[in-house]
Formats: sequence, C-alpha cells, structure tokens
Amino acid sequence: MKNTDKISITAALTAATCTLLGTTALQPVQAQEEPGWDFNTSLLYYAESDDRVQDLSLKTLSRRTFVDDRILSLGLTVDALTGATPNGALPQSFPQTFTKPSGKNTFTTPPGEFPIDDSFRDTRVAISADWEQPLGRLYAMNVGVSASAEYDYLHLGVNAKLSRDFNNRNTTLSGGFAFASDQLDPVGGVPDPLTQMRNVRDDDDGNGGRASNDSKEILDLVLGITQVMSRNFLMQFNYSYSDSSGYLNDPYKILTSVDPITGEAVPVPQIPGTEGPSHLNYYENRPDTRSKHSLYTQGKYYMNGKVLDASYRYMTDDWEIDSHTIDMRLRWPIGDDKYLEPHLRFYTQTAAEFYQISLVDDGQPLPEYASADYRLADFDAITAGLKFGWKTGGGNDMSVRLELYSQSGNVSPSQLIGSQADQDVYPDMDAIIFQYSYMFGK
Amino acid sequence: MIISRFVAVLLALGILSGCSSMGVEPWERDVLAKEEMQLTTDAIEAATDDHIYFSKEASSGGRGFGGGGCGCN
Repeated sequence: MKNTDKISITAALTAATCTLLGTTALQPVQAQEEPGWDFNTSLLYYAESDDRVQDLSLKTLSRRTFVDDRILSLGLTVDALTGATPNGALPQSFPQTFTKPSGKNTFTTPPGEFPIDDSFRDTRVAISADWEQPLGRLYAMNVGVSASAEYDYLHLGVNAKLSRDFNNRNTTLSGGFAFASDQLDPVGGVPDPLTQMRNVRDDDDGNGGRASNDSKEILDLVLGITQVMSRNFLMQFNYSYSDSSGYLNDPYKILTSVDPITGEAVPVPQIPGTEGPSHLNYYENRPDTRSKHSLYTQGKYYMNGKVLDASYRYMTDDWEIDSHTIDMRLRWPIGDDKYLEPHLRFYTQTAAEFYQISLVDDGQPLPEYASADYRLADFDAITAGLKFGWKTGGGNDMSVRLELYSQSGNVSPSQLIGSQADQDVYPDMDAIIFQYSYMFGK
Repeated sequence: MIISRFVAVLLALGILSGCSSMGVEPWERDVLAKEEMQLTTDAIEAATDDHIYFSKEASSGGRGFGGGGCGCN
C-alpha cells in the first residue's frame, strides 16, 4: 500500500509539473506512424540495338522514418556498362580507321556502319543521402548530398529544398537548389578542341601533351507549386533554371571532315611507320556555358480506382535547343492487390545551333563550335511500356516493367553534301528497358 | 525574362486568388492520401527514367533537379 501510494504521488506530481511547465503541449497532436526502415530495390537491364550501350544496374533506396515525419533516405546505385555510342563520324562506303581514345591503338569500321569504339567498359557507383523534416506546422525542408564515380568521371553534389503549405494544405509552394561539381578524367587525356584526331602514340608522355582532366559546375534552381484541385485531382507546376559552366564537351566525340563536292571523308596521307586515322577527323567543341529554362506540369487524376498520371515539359536553352516532353501513365487496378500500368512518352527536340553532321574541308577556317553528337541533333523519341505490379503474400510490393525506347533523327537536307543524301547520317536507335522492383520493410 | 515573368505571375496568381478557392477539406483527403495518388509513386523508377533520358537526350530535370552526375557516353 505504501509503495502504491508513493507511485501515485510521484505520478501526480509529475503530471502537475508537466502541466505547469506546459510540456504536454509539445507532444505531437496527430497520430504518428511507427518508425522503421523500408527498402526499395531494383534490377535494371538496359540494352541498345546494334551492340551499343548495355547497362546492368542494381539500385537500392533505404528510408528510415523517425517520429515527427523526419525521414532519412540513403541511395546506392551500381552500374555495369558495356558498349559505346557512335563517335560522331559519318558512315562511309569504304572502311575507316580511327585512333582509340587511349591513343594506344586503332579500330576499323566496315563500310556503311556508324563508327563505334566497342572496347568501352565502365562501372559506375552512385550514392546519395537525403534528410527531410517538417519545420513547424507549415514548412518542410529537405537537404541532400550525392556522389558518383566512374573510371573517367567524378560527381559531387549538394541540394536543398524548402516548402510551405497554404490554404488548408491545399497549396504547397516550394523552392530549391542543387549544386554539382564534376570532374572528367578522359581515357587518354582531354583532347584539344577542333584539332585533328591524333596518331597512335603521337607523343611520348602518353597523353599526347594533353591535360589529364577538366571540370564543370552545374547550378539548378527549382520553384514549384502543388495544388489540390479537387478530391480526385492534384496538379504540380515547376519552373527550373539550370546553369552549366566549364568543360561541356564530350571528349570522345569527333566530326568527319568531308570533301565539299562528294561529301565523302577526306583521306589522310599515311606516313610509313605510323599508325593512325585513315581519314580526317576533328575533336568536337561546344561553348563552355549553357543556361536552360524548363516549365513542367504534372496532373494526377483518380477515376474510380484508376489513376491517370500525365505530365508535360517544355525546355529551352541558349544552345538553341527547344524540347517538348509528354509523359502519360494509367494505373489500372486488377482486384485488390494487382495493377497494370501502360506508359507512353513522346519527346522531340531541335538541334543545337552548332550541331552539324560533318565539317567541310574547303580551306575555310573551322567554325568556333561544332559537334556531331546525336544527342544534340534534331530528333524525336517515343517510349512505350507496360508495368505489372502486385502485393506479395507478406504484404510487400513487387513490379516488373518492360519498355521500348526509340529515337529517330531529322537531319536537314541543307546539311547534306554529295553522297550524304544517299546514306544514313543519323544513328537511329532502339533500346529496351527491363526493370524488376521489390519494396519491403516496416 | 519572359519566362521568369510568366512564372512569377503564375505563382502570384496561384497563391493570392485562384488556389484559395480550390482544394478540399481535411476530411476529404481519402483519395489524395492513397499511395498511387502521390506525385512520385515509385522513386527508383523515376530516378531510373531521369537518368536514362538525361544520358540520351539534351533535356533533363523538370520534375526535380537536372539529374546527371555521369559522363554518359
């Protein structure tokens, strides 16, 4: 009896003290979800046609939820990459020999094919950490760091975002920034822009007198508004600005120098005892700054269990690239624990002002900037895919998706010289994307 | 300049007028709270797509930051 009395007196005193100090008011009012880890893992297989790039990628995203909606997210991605993309040179009706980026040997491309250095192999490891938490009743913040490393590339980045709810939490405004500092260490050194492709072992120091690395910085700003339109309808609008500066070239991309009449690659006189490119090629050069503006809008609409997710993005930049992207997904439930999700995506872009399929060997000075990188060309792309998701017996989520991605280029006839009109000048590409995902935890 | 003005006007309009009359009451959030109604339902799939298209096209970002962090060939 005495003990019980003691406890009840202590409890009463504690309660009274807390009440006086107002500590109970600090306790969260709303119900809290039980803290714990959850894991999102996936295996991705990405493969391009014609033995171009293949990627086998393992990704995990681990989230730890703490009390008061504070969340720690840790990401890890490991990519095993093989195969390369066309190096920018045009196919010819005869074989062409190129010096490999390492400068140690050459490879020869058969007639009629886009030149690809197929010795490319790389492993990429990327990690990220993000922390998000509410600040007071209406604000929330998110800070993160990211890093990735490849054989020839190192990325380091930080980002932060702040958001505030308005109108009974029906409107959320957010603003954020990301800053990245990336370093390139190209195999064989950084080529001098718009110089001729070198011969094998052109110089004694192994790098041909080149710098071994270069760098770039990227600053991104995003402003967004998320609006609940109705009980079934949610929309988001984002404006983003991105500024890149530094070395923006692709060190492995070149342009063929062609005869102004025939449009064919110009042969390089072979000096006995040397090994090198059979035809005249130049390393590309891009401006060292780029500013991009994007407008993005996304809507999610719930229709009797089905969810339509549609988005549109417009991007324009000071390289004169404009692009439009439409993305649509429809999540179609099958029973209580399965769904199908068809996906369609349309993309179109205009060419960079300095994109050209070849340089002309007409004795005139070379342009200040030139690139034949297929990603800077005028092209259209379409993605069509299907995802199937289901709940496992243990209540976890699994899904598989298969998608086809196809790019097709539009080279202006005014760019074509002589025989170029009769041959492929843009390396159209098809790729498959297969992804298996498993989400578990909590 | 035109774009930034457009965005400023859009945001201002959003906060000050239209949006305040839209939306739902707290007890009407049953559908919006569903997992499939979140703006990003599958973070890994979204990151995968952003990375693929960043590597293969001249545009990136929009939904979030520009992505990247690779010397994608």
